Amino acid sequence: MIEAFRLGLFSRGKILWDGLDFALDDGAVWVIVGPPASGKTLLLAVLRGERRPDAGDVLISGESLYRGRAASARAFRAACGAITERPDGDGRMTVEGLFLRSALVWGGIDRRERKERQGRLLTIVGLAGTEPLHLSSLSASERARARLAAELVRSPKFLFGDGMVSSAGLPFQEMLGALFRALAGEGNTVVLAERLLPARWASLADEGRTAGPFRIFRLSDAAAKAGSP
Amino acid sequence: LRGTASHVWIDWRLAGGSVARQSLVRFIFLCALAFGLLVLVLSGGIGRWLSSQYAVTAVLRESVSADEAAGLARKIAGLPPVASAEYRDPADAWKEFLQAFPGLESLPGTAGNPLPGYIQIRIRRDRFDAADVEQVISVLRPLPAVAQVLSGGDSLPRLLRAARYAAVGSWTVFGAFFAAFFLLCALQEQVRVLSSSGAYRYLLDRGAPRGRIVSGRAVGSALWCLFLAAFATGAATAVLSFLLGRFSLLRAVIGPAEDLLTPSVAVAACAFILSAALLSAGASLLGWRSVGASGN
Repeated sequence: MIEAFRLGLFSRGKILWDGLDFALDDGAVWVIVGPPASGKTLLLAVLRGERRPDAGDVLISGESLYRGRAASARAFRAACGAITERPDGDGRMTVEGLFLRSALVWGGIDRRERKERQGRLLTIVGLAGTEPLHLSSLSASERARARLAAELVRSPKFLFGDGMVSSAGLPFQEMLGALFRALAGEGNTVVLAERLLPARWASLADEGRTAGPFRIFRLSDAAAKAGSP
Repeated sequence: LRGTASHVWIDWRLAGGSVARQSLVRFIFLCALAFGLLVLVLSGGIGRWLSSQYAVTAVLRESVSADEAAGLARKIAGLPPVASAEYRDPADAWKEFLQAFPGLESLPGTAGNPLPGYIQIRIRRDRFDAADVEQVISVLRPLPAVAQVLSGGDSLPRLLRAARYAAVGSWTVFGAFFAAFFLLCALQEQVRVLSSSGAYRYLLDRGAPRGRIVSGRAVGSALWCLFLAAFATGAATAVLSFLLGRFSLLRAVIGPAEDLLTPSVAVAACAFILSAALLSAGASLLGWRSVGASGN
């Protein structure tokens, strides 16, 4: 479980938010919705342990991410996957390069196993056969999906996506919704930050709760809702 | 250690083409350095050439027979600093004199050969210093068969000083080139790290341990440079061996190709290879600082 406790952040010369309290249970898909410049990207960075908050703390399974043991924090980050808005200098990389880089987080994955997972994941996100293509030659939607597939090659326990669903585009919302809920069904936690709750997910989301400038929705799993996509 | 090992070839995986291109430049530089090193070790700057030109001459008394002189030459050749001791009888001495000064065959008052026999002593290249030359002279002087010892007198210290300065100068130039190699490596590492900074930031953001990446890169850089330096040294040895076999002038100044197989050359080559590897590791650590300054 990821718990935000009295989180506060000062950025761009003002207090972005202060006193945020919320908890994200394991094995669920969470969508954090907030207006532009509300600090969604920074909030995800704080939750991932990349950006220390100016106030409050983040607890992972009860242990402080910023004040606890460095090894625990590192282990949590190693268990995270992230699709950020920041391009990470991958414009000149090929799709296969993304998978190779992702696998290097663990010091590399056996080539055959990586190739096998790579092919499977690219098929799932609708990008089969794109391995040799450079990212710069892909559309924004394809890039977002390729980055997602590359993160999934490590089977992360926690997956963070920043504006990923809107980048992927309307036609892929249902596919991504199904994929994320399947991941959650396997016990993983998916945390997404979006400007708006994706239209096609509205029927799957709970009523949401407010935390500072954000509204946090939980998507129900596929079995819970009849007629879900 | 296992973690470090998994990141040893991380640069090859992230930017293989860049590493290959940079390795080519390093290899060419290492070849030139290895060639220079071998030439310096073999020649000792200008030491070999000077020692081949310099000789101590023990002029023998007229009463010394050829057998006695040859025996004496053999004994002198056994002295530790002596490379060779060769007896020339009066007839040879006269022939050499006439070759050096043609037309003096009929000097007035020279009935026959006026020159005595002598022993020409050459000093070993690695013992060519004032103390060892003095040791040989001090052995020769008290011998009753020796009338006079010609050793260059006052010019010898100047000659030795020139040889020393030449050696120091040569090694300084070599050191400067070695330092330039380090700078080249550091620059290459910095360029590569900067161009891959996005990828490194990606890994660090996802909890890949910085220490393991840094140490893995350094170990990988050292291992790869060890291979490059060894290969470059081998190539330089082959080229130098070919040149020494072909050009006698080079052989006279640098030395025979067989000397490339002596232990001192092997030790120098190993030290060079290891130093290059260590410098490469150091440059890798230095290059990483550019990521350290910008990231995470």
